[in-house]
Amino acid sequence: MSFVLHGIGVSNGIAIGRAQLVSHATLEVAHYSITPEQVAGETERFAQALQSVQRELETLHGAMTSGDAPAEFGAFLDVHWMILTDPTLHEIPKRTIAEQLCNAEWALTQQLGVLMEQFETIEDPYFRERKADVVHVVERVLKVLMGKPGPVRPATAEDHTILVAHDLSPADVIQFKNHDFAAFLTDLGGVTSHTAIVARSLNVPAVVATHNARTLIRENEMLIVDGGRNVVIVNPDRSVLTEYRLKQEELELEWQKLRRLRTTPATTLDACKIELMANIELPEDLEQTMENGANGVGLFRTEFLFLNRDGLPSEDEQFEAYRTVAAGMKGQPVTVRTFDLGADKHKEGLDGLSRVAPNPALGLRAVRFCLAEPRLFLTQLRAILRASPYGKVKILLPMLSSVSEIEQALALIAQAKDSLREQKIKFDTGIEVGGMIEIPAAVLSLAAFASRLDFLSIGTNDLIQYTLAVDRADDAVAHLYDALHPAVIKLLALAISTSNKAGVPVAVCGEMAGEARFTRLLLGMGLTNFSMHPAHLLTVKQRVLTSDVGEARGFVERMRRSDEPAKLIALLGKLNA
Amino acid sequence: MKGPPQYGALCRTPTKTISSMQTRLIELTNRLGLHARACVKVVRVASRFRSEVCLIWNGRRASARSMMAVMLLAAGVGATIRLETSGPDEAEAMTAMVQLISGQFGERQ
Repeated sequence: MSFVLHGIGVSNGIAIGRAQLVSHATLEVAHYSITPEQVAGETERFAQALQSVQRELETLHGAMTSGDAPAEFGAFLDVHWMILTDPTLHEIPKRTIAEQLCNAEWALTQQLGVLMEQFETIEDPYFRERKADVVHVVERVLKVLMGKPGPVRPATAEDHTILVAHDLSPADVIQFKNHDFAAFLTDLGGVTSHTAIVARSLNVPAVVATHNARTLIRENEMLIVDGGRNVVIVNPDRSVLTEYRLKQEELELEWQKLRRLRTTPATTLDACKIELMANIELPEDLEQTMENGANGVGLFRTEFLFLNRDGLPSEDEQFEAYRTVAAGMKGQPVTVRTFDLGADKHKEGLDGLSRVAPNPALGLRAVRFCLAEPRLFLTQLRAILRASPYGKVKILLPMLSSVSEIEQALALIAQAKDSLREQKIKFDTGIEVGGMIEIPAAVLSLAAFASRLDFLSIGTNDLIQYTLAVDRADDAVAHLYDALHPAVIKLLALAISTSNKAGVPVAVCGEMAGEARFTRLLLGMGLTNFSMHPAHLLTVKQRVLTSDVGEARGFVERMRRSDEPAKLIALLGKLNA
Repeated sequence: MKGPPQYGALCRTPTKTISSMQTRLIELTNRLGLHARACVKVVRVASRFRSEVCLIWNGRRASARSMMAVMLLAAGVGATIRLETSGPDEAEAMTAMVQLISGQFGERQ
């Protein structure tokens, strides 16, 4: 039976393919069936994963007991080693693989569920909490399992796979980057949730907030995901399928036309030169950045470097990542944003970060967190500085709300520079330091920011969230998130004009920069630097090429003066006509 | 999915045909009882013997060779647990277990 699900399209495009379901477990695990002939291979894969984690623990143990690490660490590893080698984790999943003909990840997750239920019955909270150790061990094994290719799923050449999940963490999505999924569907999420942002960077269609896709869709069912129309068609009939295949071809043709603009400079009709930069998350995103003709990296989100891992990335490891991007951009600017940890990018398991803040968006995150953890911050700053001779590197501080935060951060940057000088390590002494403008307070006192920083970058997602008091990840209020709210327009226009008057370069690096329907609005506010997902660069460039800044300025002046949403929409419509 | 309790309790209840079996009641007097690291020690000691070693408390029965089972026993300080050993070296196993527990798992209190 064919039916349609509605959600929020977070990335345009059409995908046609078969559903692959992902479980509800803490770690999202795929469930698929295997044939009786594959049981032996799957059991072996499971056994090898166990062995690999066992060796991992033994190596760690060796490293710790030989060094000066406190005895607590060794004991902690003993506990994990014993949990890992327990028959409940060793034998029962193997039996499940054979009996239920399912993949190893699924068998292990099921057994974890059984054990968790048993732990839940324990009254004493201390003993009950030991389940965390079991989860930790199982997650280690799952990570190893998921890093290895499972048995090949039956698929014909033209059948793509569409991932259907209840929710995906940014870490999950990054993990799926290595797979070739044609689209993503999730029950939860919103247009600007970080899951959506990451999915978009994969340049595949995605529909989120479908509420119950995970329960309604069955494994291997045929799906059409139309990101532009916010719909998912489950089990489409032949005529619908034909129509969508046609549409898909049209989109492909349009895309090919856009690709010809790759090397065209982004200049408006009235000869204003516009910089179009890319937002990236991983060094691997460079390829897409170059392909789409970016003028540089306007935002390198560094926190994704240490999702999907235990512990902090070392200075050398960070240096390698920053250096790769700096060198890869061949002299074009690379703006490295310091860790924006906390809120929805919450990293579990990191000591000190695992506490649940009553209101994470207003809590200890981004630069606040970095200032509270100066050692972590200094490590990152040193790594960025060390990468600076390899290209044109800039430092960007997220979520500044007051002058004192800027001053503290600048003092730490100076300290990082001093330590490098002492060790005679080269760095760009003139490295520019900029700040994110994403809190209304920063916009309203922008002159003080502009006088202390070399450049500014407006993060529209958070600016809108904080201005409207709307949690963008909360499905129930996500519809209230409105980039065209009169207050947002006023704040944006004020931020851009104040920066321009102060002579401090300003960019917009939020979602708004990548949406062609806002391009003229931002141009009219006086913006000349846009930073967005590489996938949107060419669409925005096409819009820039057909825009007249002088004309747009007139519309924006009228929009700034209006408090009527309907009038704003009408004016934007005329501006874009 | 609810399955039968799949404990690490691979500890068989001894049948009547086993003529000898050592049993003993012992109180946990260390600060936290069978906390994670104490469990590690229990499993280590029990694994040294060929005999079956079981801990019984609060209606639950756990093989002392299974970390998961001993952890799930959740026996805190003051719990009086029943130790059972049966097999070729059951007397030695009992002595070692009693020594471990009465010696408060070698913890400094």
